[in-house]
Amino acid sequence: MTVNNTIAHQRLILTGDRERFKDLLMRRLIECGWRDQVRMLCREAVKENEGGNVNFDTLVSRVTPRARALVPDTVKKELLQKIKTHLLTPKD
Amino acid sequence: MTKIVSELSMNDLNIKFFEIMQNENNAEEAASFIFDSVCDDVTLGFVFEFHHGLKTGLTDLIEGEKEEDDSFKIVNSPECDVFGLSVLKKTQDTNCVCPNCDRPVSATRFAPHLEKCMGMGRNSSRIASRRIASNSREPTSYAGLLSDDEDDADWAGGSLHTERRKRRIKNNNSRKPAKVHKNNSSRTNNGTTNCDSNDGGATYETMSANEKKNLLLQICGVVSEHTKKLCTRSTRCPQHTEEQRRALRNSVLEPSTPESQTMGLTADDAGSPPDSSPSSSCSSSSRKRDRHRAPPKLKGKRERNISPNSRD
Repeated sequence: MTVNNTIAHQRLILTGDRERFKDLLMRRLIECGWRDQVRMLCREAVKENEGGNVNFDTLVSRVTPRARALVPDTVKKELLQKIKTHLLTPKD
Repeated sequence: MTKIVSELSMNDLNIKFFEIMQNENNAEEAASFIFDSVCDDVTLGFVFEFHHGLKTGLTDLIEGEKEEDDSFKIVNSPECDVFGLSVLKKTQDTNCVCPNCDRPVSATRFAPHLEKCMGMGRNSSRIASRRIASNSREPTSYAGLLSDDEDDADWAGGSLHTERRKRRIKNNNSRKPAKVHKNNSSRTNNGTTNCDSNDGGATYETMSANEKKNLLLQICGVVSEHTKKLCTRSTRCPQHTEEQRRALRNSVLEPSTPESQTMGLTADDAGSPPDSSPSSSCSSSSRKRDRHRAPPKLKGKRERNISPNSRD
């Protein structure tokens, strides 16, 4: 199963469609205000860390799980649908 | 060869892939996997961006400096106001003690006080030197009393008092011959009350009964023992006691007792003051003396007596 996933992933990267999806997702997340929420999360993480000197790894490990949970369902559904249809449509 | 193989394999792979993707579950699973990886990328990108801003100080520049909350906090302690300043009043140690009179004086008023007290200033020194001069000229028995009263006048301050002092000095000078005359002739001359009553009798004597009454209705009228002038302040002036006023009215309005009652004095108190009897006897004896010089002096004295009234 994971082999299938990696194959599909590799195919997207090869065709350059992955970048398109990534741009789309980024645009959607900015539109819905997710980016500002993540910025707030980062600030909180910095404040929690005394001294203000934050390692990037700790920042990622603290922020990423919460940021993933904050992604709106509509955006996620839209992206999944588009990727799926893209996978199913054969290329000439 | 290899190229052909690869082309074949690509083709094969494509076909195989679509076969697999025809399965709904596989497609969904692949989609979610791809979404996760893309989403991770995006998140990581944002975190990178933030971290970069943080390290280079860009975030601070964009968001601006944070305001200090401390300066806007209301201080909530008992001995401070809301600004954190002490509300305790300034203590006694700001006061200075005058080296001349030992009175505690506030530091801000110390210079003006010294000017008055020690005669250091321009006006005060002039007055003080004149005072010293006049004191040395007549070292009389009431020198001690004089200094006490003078201090009071200094403390009250004001132009009126300086004027009064000048008048007093003038008075002293002009009175000298009379004083000599009095010392030579008098038998019972032994102190201040005597000359007071003498003078008071003389000044009041130049007036008619009506004039005296009108005058005493308006002013205090007590004869000062230093200036030998009538007190021209209101009938309730704080410098003289009710006793003094009553005694003077009794002595001056002696011939007509009902008049003294119209002055607002009670009848039962009329005889009590100790000054009344000697002064009255004295004035009667001195009247003869004053008659000698009364006519020529009358005009000047009248003027001097009336002018304070008109000013008031």
